[in-house]
Amino acid sequence: MPQAANNDKPRAAMIMSGPVRRPPLAVVLVAISLLALGETAGAAMSRLKPEIQRYAATRVAANAAAHGFSGSAEYDDEVRERAIFTAEAGLSFFHLHAEGVGLVLFFTSTLVASAVPWRRARAALYLLLTLGGLFPLGYLVYGAAVLELGRDAGIDLAERWILTPLGISAIAGLVGLLLVAARRRA
Amino acid sequence: MTVVVEAPAWRLPPRWVLLVAVLSIACAEVGGASMARFRDVDERILDEALVKFDAGLRLFHMHAEGMGLVIIAGATVAATLARPGTARRSIIALLTTGGAGYPVGYLVWSALIPSYGMDSAKTIAEWLVWIPFGSAAIVALWWLAALIALRMIRP
Repeated sequence: MPQAANNDKPRAAMIMSGPVRRPPLAVVLVAISLLALGETAGAAMSRLKPEIQRYAATRVAANAAAHGFSGSAEYDDEVRERAIFTAEAGLSFFHLHAEGVGLVLFFTSTLVASAVPWRRARAALYLLLTLGGLFPLGYLVYGAAVLELGRDAGIDLAERWILTPLGISAIAGLVGLLLVAARRRA
Repeated sequence: MTVVVEAPAWRLPPRWVLLVAVLSIACAEVGGASMARFRDVDERILDEALVKFDAGLRLFHMHAEGMGLVIIAGATVAATLARPGTARRSIIALLTTGGAGYPVGYLVWSALIPSYGMDSAKTIAEWLVWIPFGSAAIVALWWLAALIALRMIRP
């Protein structure tokens, strides 16, 4: 039964449906690290905006061929601005998703620890949910890949190889938890 | 003989922490409701300051909802995994004050826009609220992550 952290004295009995168990430390570490990374990214977006934009512009210039620069200043400026905007969007998506997915991982893995009685099923669900928890990192790759490979190739790489597989893992973990919960109720 | 090893249970954080977190979420809900009402006014008076005021309210709504949950999750982890003493108390205090205080910066920003203009209002909110409270929450979460990693290496 959970106890208040600031009071280790014996307390009056409470009516609860069962103990709320904690998942393995590795899963908790991923969840808390995601929250910390998400917060830090939010702060960086706000305080380091000019530096990030300068860095992005430098990387775009260094990979001019990948961005399809034509030599026409007007066209090239538009391509550069679009690439920088997309890279910043990647950081913004990372901030948003890391905060949300960190919480989802924390609460769903706690549900797995508390409601799934089978050891192997628990291990499989932890694995799927934790891999799914890494999904927001795909947006960091998204932002970096856009600058290095060009907008379309960068987005394609991040979506195909990181966001889609990790997203599928998260969905599979959630569906698995749902099925286990339904089976226990039946 | 079968030995059943049960996973350890979560410990609840102190009640005042839960109260602050739930209050933050409740204020966020109220902020969301006010935002919906405010939008009617927004449609009639297309003024940039009002649009920014609306944006501030929207950001408060989003951040207060999220940070309320982050406080509950983070404080639960700290209450369970940090040993009783200064570290546990500091992490919980930093996370709760930082997490609950940070979103208020968006209300401060919104409220100051009419008097100070957009940029000055943003600078005031930044130095008065976002930087101190945001830093407190970030420090608490990284401290907590380091502590969990340490527990994994030296159980």
